Amino acid sequence: MILIHCPYCDEKRPEIEFANAGQAHIARPLDPSGQSDAEWEAYLFIRANPRGRHHERWRHIHGCGRFFNAVRDTVTDKFETTYKAGEPRR
Amino acid sequence: MSEALFRNEPVPSTPYVADGVSISLAAPLKRYSLRARTAEALETVLNVKVPQKIGATEGGIACLGPDEWLLRTAAETAMPTGAGLPVAITDIGERSICLIVEGPRAAELLMTGCPLDLDNFAVGRATRTIYETVEIIIIREGEDRFHVEVWRSFAAWLWTAFTAAASH
Amino acid sequence: MSGFRLETGGRIDRSQPVTFSFDGKTYTGFAGDSLASALLANGVMLFGRSFKYHRPRGLVAAGSEEPNALISVNRGPGRFTPNLRATGVEIHDGLKAFSQNRWPSLAMDFGAINDRLGMFFPAGFYNKTFMWPRSFWDKVYEPAIRKMAGLGDAPTAEDPDVYASTYAHCDLLIIGAGPAGIDAALGAMDTNKRIVLMDEQDELGGGALADPALWPWLERSVKALTDAANVTILTRTTAFGYYHDNFIGAVQRLTDHRPENEDTPREKLWRIRAGEVVLAQGAIERPLVFDGNDTPGVMLSSAAKVYANRYGVAVGKTPALMASHDSGWHDVFALAKAGVGISAIIDVRESVDSALMLEAERLGIPVYLNHGVVGVNGRHNVSAVDICDYGNQRVHRVNTDALLMAGGWTPSVHLWSHSKGSLKWRDELGAYVPDLPNENVVCVGGCSGDWDFGTGAVIDMLPTPKDQSRIKAFVDFQNDVTAKDIKLAVREGFRSIEHIKRYTTNGMATDQGKTSNLNGLQIASSALDKPVPDIGLTSFRPPYTPQTFGALAGHAKGALFQPTRTTNIDSWAQAHGAVFELVAQWRRARYFPKAGENMHAAVNRECVAVRSSVGIFDASTLGKIEVVGPDAAEFLNRMYTNPWKALEPGRCRYGLLLKEDGFITDDGVSARLAPDRFHLTTTTGGAARVLNMMEDYLQTEWPDLDVWLTSTTEQYAVIALQGPNARKVLEPLVEGIDLSAEAFPHMAIREGTICGIETRLFRVSFTGELGFEINVPTAYGRAVWEQLMAQGAQYDITPYGTEAMHVLRAEKGFIIVGQDTDGTVTPFDAGLDWAVGKKKPDFVGKRSMARPDIVAPGRKQLIGLLTDDPNVVLEEGAQIVADPKQPIPMTMIGHVTSSYWSEALGRSIAMALVAGGHDMTGGTLHIPMPGKTHSAKVSGVVFYDPEGARLHV
Repeated sequence: MILIHCPYCDEKRPEIEFANAGQAHIARPLDPSGQSDAEWEAYLFIRANPRGRHHERWRHIHGCGRFFNAVRDTVTDKFETTYKAGEPRR
Repeated sequence: MSEALFRNEPVPSTPYVADGVSISLAAPLKRYSLRARTAEALETVLNVKVPQKIGATEGGIACLGPDEWLLRTAAETAMPTGAGLPVAITDIGERSICLIVEGPRAAELLMTGCPLDLDNFAVGRATRTIYETVEIIIIREGEDRFHVEVWRSFAAWLWTAFTAAASH
Repeated sequence: MSGFRLETGGRIDRSQPVTFSFDGKTYTGFAGDSLASALLANGVMLFGRSFKYHRPRGLVAAGSEEPNALISVNRGPGRFTPNLRATGVEIHDGLKAFSQNRWPSLAMDFGAINDRLGMFFPAGFYNKTFMWPRSFWDKVYEPAIRKMAGLGDAPTAEDPDVYASTYAHCDLLIIGAGPAGIDAALGAMDTNKRIVLMDEQDELGGGALADPALWPWLERSVKALTDAANVTILTRTTAFGYYHDNFIGAVQRLTDHRPENEDTPREKLWRIRAGEVVLAQGAIERPLVFDGNDTPGVMLSSAAKVYANRYGVAVGKTPALMASHDSGWHDVFALAKAGVGISAIIDVRESVDSALMLEAERLGIPVYLNHGVVGVNGRHNVSAVDICDYGNQRVHRVNTDALLMAGGWTPSVHLWSHSKGSLKWRDELGAYVPDLPNENVVCVGGCSGDWDFGTGAVIDMLPTPKDQSRIKAFVDFQNDVTAKDIKLAVREGFRSIEHIKRYTTNGMATDQGKTSNLNGLQIASSALDKPVPDIGLTSFRPPYTPQTFGALAGHAKGALFQPTRTTNIDSWAQAHGAVFELVAQWRRARYFPKAGENMHAAVNRECVAVRSSVGIFDASTLGKIEVVGPDAAEFLNRMYTNPWKALEPGRCRYGLLLKEDGFITDDGVSARLAPDRFHLTTTTGGAARVLNMMEDYLQTEWPDLDVWLTSTTEQYAVIALQGPNARKVLEPLVEGIDLSAEAFPHMAIREGTICGIETRLFRVSFTGELGFEINVPTAYGRAVWEQLMAQGAQYDITPYGTEAMHVLRAEKGFIIVGQDTDGTVTPFDAGLDWAVGKKKPDFVGKRSMARPDIVAPGRKQLIGLLTDDPNVVLEEGAQIVADPKQPIPMTMIGHVTSSYWSEALGRSIAMALVAGGHDMTGGTLHIPMPGKTHSAKVSGVVFYDPEGARLHV
């Protein structure tokens, strides 16, 4: 069970307090109805599956409740960093 | 109208006492979920001090997240609704019950299923966490005294889990 | 000859005899004996039969690496444990142990015929032979193979023992309490670190337990550590797995070593988070590979020293040593000191340290350098060995009753490898040792390759002049893998050790190759003519040694298997004979049978009561979310398909929630309590999912909105009162609310009190009847329910369960998300397009409703089905076809989602998802079922009171 640093609580907490929430930095288009089918498909369904560095979202669901972003290595399962939702991609 | 109705609690009213630790149901409390972007926004509405730091408690108010506080009180004072203001005050008085876990083995008992290091969890600190698969809120009231808030529907299970672990 | 108890020595308590049995025969040992040492002291050399060839096997080791002596222990009904290593079982009075994999008895085993037929069982034999015919595998081959080749029997009765479990935290975790581990603990003891020192054995000391010269030091050290307040000592505790961020799983055995079964936990699972880990697991001696090396009486020389010095047991009167490493010489010198006569020292090396030669000479032990064992005489015990002089290839016989192997050492890097630490090959050790750590961990002592018992030659197997095809030189004792099998795998084209391992099963037994991996690697390396590092090393995975399922489950069995959520009214339902079902984690009353009623009769009666008078239903499990803040209406408007901004306070609205892909994910009736406060409801199973989804949008897409969400599912007990007499029951109990139809219309909410308790009273209906949902603070749920029951007695108020609720809603065509939808159903598919705000520019899922696949014709759509035979109730999940005469396999165009007997209509009703269903109204579809194909007419989904006249009263 890994430890994850919650950027809101500012401490490492056990994995079972968290829930993964998929790839990070995929913003909902401001005007969905203005999206072409291809653009909307890309937003809805197309996700990265990198070997190595991966930006993803987690939620400290059994803690402070906040969603945040993380950079995790998908090979080693090590977290490089975590940062608050809304902060620029690292 | 009919006479006062009885409260139906999910756990026994008699404390469970084991070697070095006891588990008991706390008396009914009023509870409110307080939400706002800042502690100051709530202070304006409630006219009391609201702790800033996640995990801190002050005057019965525990800061559980950057925009979330839990107020527990036995007082009968009416709460403002915060109507029209950028705050949310919600009555959750009966959402959970509070189990008091007390005694020299209190921290040890909680750590049977809670993955936090309670040796390094200061008196006065509060947090939402998990016991095995059940979400709880732990408030350290004293060196050997914890309050454990648990949603009512899970309380019977948690009572059984605590008493089983305490008996070991 | 065979093993016997020495006159003196050992750490056993000779004043405390212990009586136990093995295969029904009674033996006596002493307190402090392992089952292995006690049996050895009684002259027992035969401990089991091998996995594949059923060859007689004895002890190889004295510790947890033992591959052969797997036994079962029976502690009574449900307390049967197979596959324990006799070396790790502490004897106690009354212990009942049994050998395994033999029939009819250990000494005379029928399956031993496999050994005679061994030439027919090469590596890959099963893969090659039992592939055809395919259908024979399950029915014929596998059961037969399992009967013949196997380990202990799996227990059949339920385990009555209890198991404890805990998390723990420390600054320093030391795994292994041999001299290196103890030194690490002593070194850190005077800091303020929280230290945990664990060892799998029953006392601290590790290798020092077999070295009497170290006992005074050991005693002092253990006392110091025991007295230190910051040191926790866990004996009989096996660290079985090393996980991310210094998280270690360990099992502590608490009661198996005691005579009586106790109420206290049998084992305890420790889930430890450590700041720093010190691995001091030591090293395991390596057997040598030669013909007959599995004969009982052939064992590791270090094990013989443990038996002599720790347990006071000699493995034989005149053991001989076969060595390629200095450590074996030291071991037999120690045996000689303990009073055991050594018949010979045989060493493959041409020369050894002169100090060893001098000591052997002083002790009068014959030494054969540049010799190797090429044959072992005796089937159930060693009687003599044939040794070959490699100088002239002459073979001569040495009489001996035991043969000790000293093939060098393998550092125990198992946990290091679990932690993903890297390894490096050290040629002079012929072993992998820890290199770079992946966690905050260090290896000390033997497991780091650091030891002081001299040097040795690294060899793959002992040279022999014999025909290689006629010998059985074992590499993996537990899985019966020979050197020949590995060479065959290489000849057949396997190049990677990962493939060789899987083909031969070398190292894949329950011991994970503790004694076999390195010998297997060396043999493969020679056969491939490549250095070992080039063919790799297989991975070690948890558990280090097998652990019980009970320990891993911990408390999670019986009532604690998983949380069962109960409502405040559950205890009333229980007391009134409800039959329950699980819905998500909730226990819900399914129906309330009266004496003699089956489910059908009870549900019919409950449905009739609701339609004719009044029914009462515990709806507390409904998910509830309080949405509060100035932007509450704006937020809901973005989340739900329908418009929310214009909803008046005091009114309710049915909300349909889509995922962004346009498919229905939840629904529920929600109320506006105030301009900035809503009371949402969700489905029972969807409560957590919906809250998480809403938080996600709120926190990450629209953080500018001033609105907050609070789960209030458990704040309120919810009692649904449904039926034409519902208002009459309610009226005398409610204060502060005008219940008249004019003042309190359908889809409205009022706040007041019921029985003096504050309530949020909804006028809503999931039955099609006049209905109310009474929300009261949870603690008062049961009390209010009982007041309603008393008040409703004059109307024959009837409690109903989830089954009647399902029938009643189906009669009205109300969907259940997750039953009538499956994650691929749009509002249009479900006939709920009326709930979609056509003028709203955006809401979650709106854009997807215009996706090409969503607007394409032929989508599955929700329809009603009325069977031509009104008495036929279709099976839910049944497949639907258009033409029952088409050839098989038929084209299935949909399936039945809901199907019930409707007492109100006197016939069956069903809902179904059918491709293009909305255009089929009036047509006939067919539902093939076992024995008969049913036909049904397509209808709308509202079967009862389509005008809704019964609601507005």
